[in-house]
Amino acid sequence: MFHWLEKNPFFFSVGVFVVIAFAGLVEILPNFAEASRPVVGLKPYTVLELAGKEVYKKDACIACHSQLIRPFKSETDRYGQVSLSGEYAYDRPFLWGSKRTGPDLHRVGNYRTTDWHENHMWDPKSVVPQSIMPAYKHMFTNIADIETAYAEAVTVKNVFATPYGDEFKGTRAAWEAHKPKVLADAKLITADMKNKDVKDAVEAGNIPEIVALIAYMNRLK
Amino acid sequence: MNALMIKGLIFAAVLIGATVAVVSSMNIDLSDPINMITMIGAVAIAGLSVGVSIKYINQMKTDTATGELVDHNWDGIGEYKNELPSGWAFSFLGTLIWAIWYMLAGYPVNAFSQIGQYNEEVLAHQEKFEAKHKNADAATLQQMGESIFLVQCAPCHGETGDGLSGKAQDFATRESKEQILDVIANGSNQLKYPMGAMPGGMASGADAEAIADYIVGGMKGEAPASYGVCAGCHGADGAGNGGTAPNIADYDDVLVHNVLENGKKGVIGIMPSFKGRFTPVQEKALTTYLHSLEN
Repeated sequence: MFHWLEKNPFFFSVGVFVVIAFAGLVEILPNFAEASRPVVGLKPYTVLELAGKEVYKKDACIACHSQLIRPFKSETDRYGQVSLSGEYAYDRPFLWGSKRTGPDLHRVGNYRTTDWHENHMWDPKSVVPQSIMPAYKHMFTNIADIETAYAEAVTVKNVFATPYGDEFKGTRAAWEAHKPKVLADAKLITADMKNKDVKDAVEAGNIPEIVALIAYMNRLK
Repeated sequence: MNALMIKGLIFAAVLIGATVAVVSSMNIDLSDPINMITMIGAVAIAGLSVGVSIKYINQMKTDTATGELVDHNWDGIGEYKNELPSGWAFSFLGTLIWAIWYMLAGYPVNAFSQIGQYNEEVLAHQEKFEAKHKNADAATLQQMGESIFLVQCAPCHGETGDGLSGKAQDFATRESKEQILDVIANGSNQLKYPMGAMPGGMASGADAEAIADYIVGGMKGEAPASYGVCAGCHGADGAGNGGTAPNIADYDDVLVHNVLENGKKGVIGIMPSFKGRFTPVQEKALTTYLHSLEN
């Protein structure tokens, strides 16, 4: 049946490649699928956290900060437990980063607090004297785009079946119904903040970027 | 002794000679057992290679094949009927049995986990670390405490431990008047001491002020009468009755451990929990370092 293969080295090579590649897939794919499953207890990002993630991307935090703790003693001593791939299951895209001008942030929510972030984003040198991180004062006045963050949540729900609740729908009414929840989350953050302008803005229904970013930072655990 | 044997012996001698020459020129210490075994291995390989080559070359020259041919031949090339070599057959059967075990039990039950291996190694390292520093002297603890403090604590408490002008606990003192008044008014149940929760409002007004002044002043001189209600749990000296209630006079091992374990929300702000991040020796080192920061 396969005699003709013995006379055609090219097709014979293709056949060998296919057989070995198939064996590889059988070995590798189940492991990938297993490892990329969300870890137990992982929840999708809230709309406020997603808005913060957008700020993180927009201001290119990834250029200096990583979000990946490798299995080295020096790293786990400083940043906490090794990162697992299942922890990034709802990150679209993941923000591992490859540059550590600043420290890793994958578990920053475990050891930094809201008011620390507030001080630090306003003036990094006020808390870490040798810090070379620039101040991000514009985050205290720029308003976060929570509407787009909501649209992002609906999109990843529809496209990737991220487990957001049934109330996440791509309609204006659904967004209006969800908006008070986002504002409530923001008020939980501003309760621990000192900046009067930020508190007032949230009271007035506008969420400054700093609030969304802190919500995102606190979520990283 | 034929010519082949003589050539073989010469070749083996050359190989062994070259090995010895290289070893002696590289100044290798042969009293080290690993080096010695390697050396013996190199000589054995040279001898065996030559010996086996001679055997098979001779066999090729003299042997004639015998036995029964199978019926089929391939363009005139035939094959003898041979029994399966028993060594091969047994290893084949063994492999089959191993494969079934591996598929059903070996892989699913004993699957390798990189993170698991890492955690085991960390645990082993921590045990070694704890054993090594069990009786560390004050200077070592001080140094260790400082390095931990600079990495883990300094971002909030400042490099000198001064709390960055009120942003975090100032380690120059045990507590400020503001903090004491806050705890007296609101109580506290965060540090999980055996004595349990401290209710709020055990003293108020001038009494609370007097207590706060007395504690901030380093608990010197006559204690105000209102301090009696504190002494019930925290002790007359404020040291916390041997770890059953928080030490309000000074930082001690139990206090540092409990704050790191549980975190704390006070009048200054929130300190997150650092549960599981430090070993007991490291906590002791931190306590030692905090003492050195006090006035």
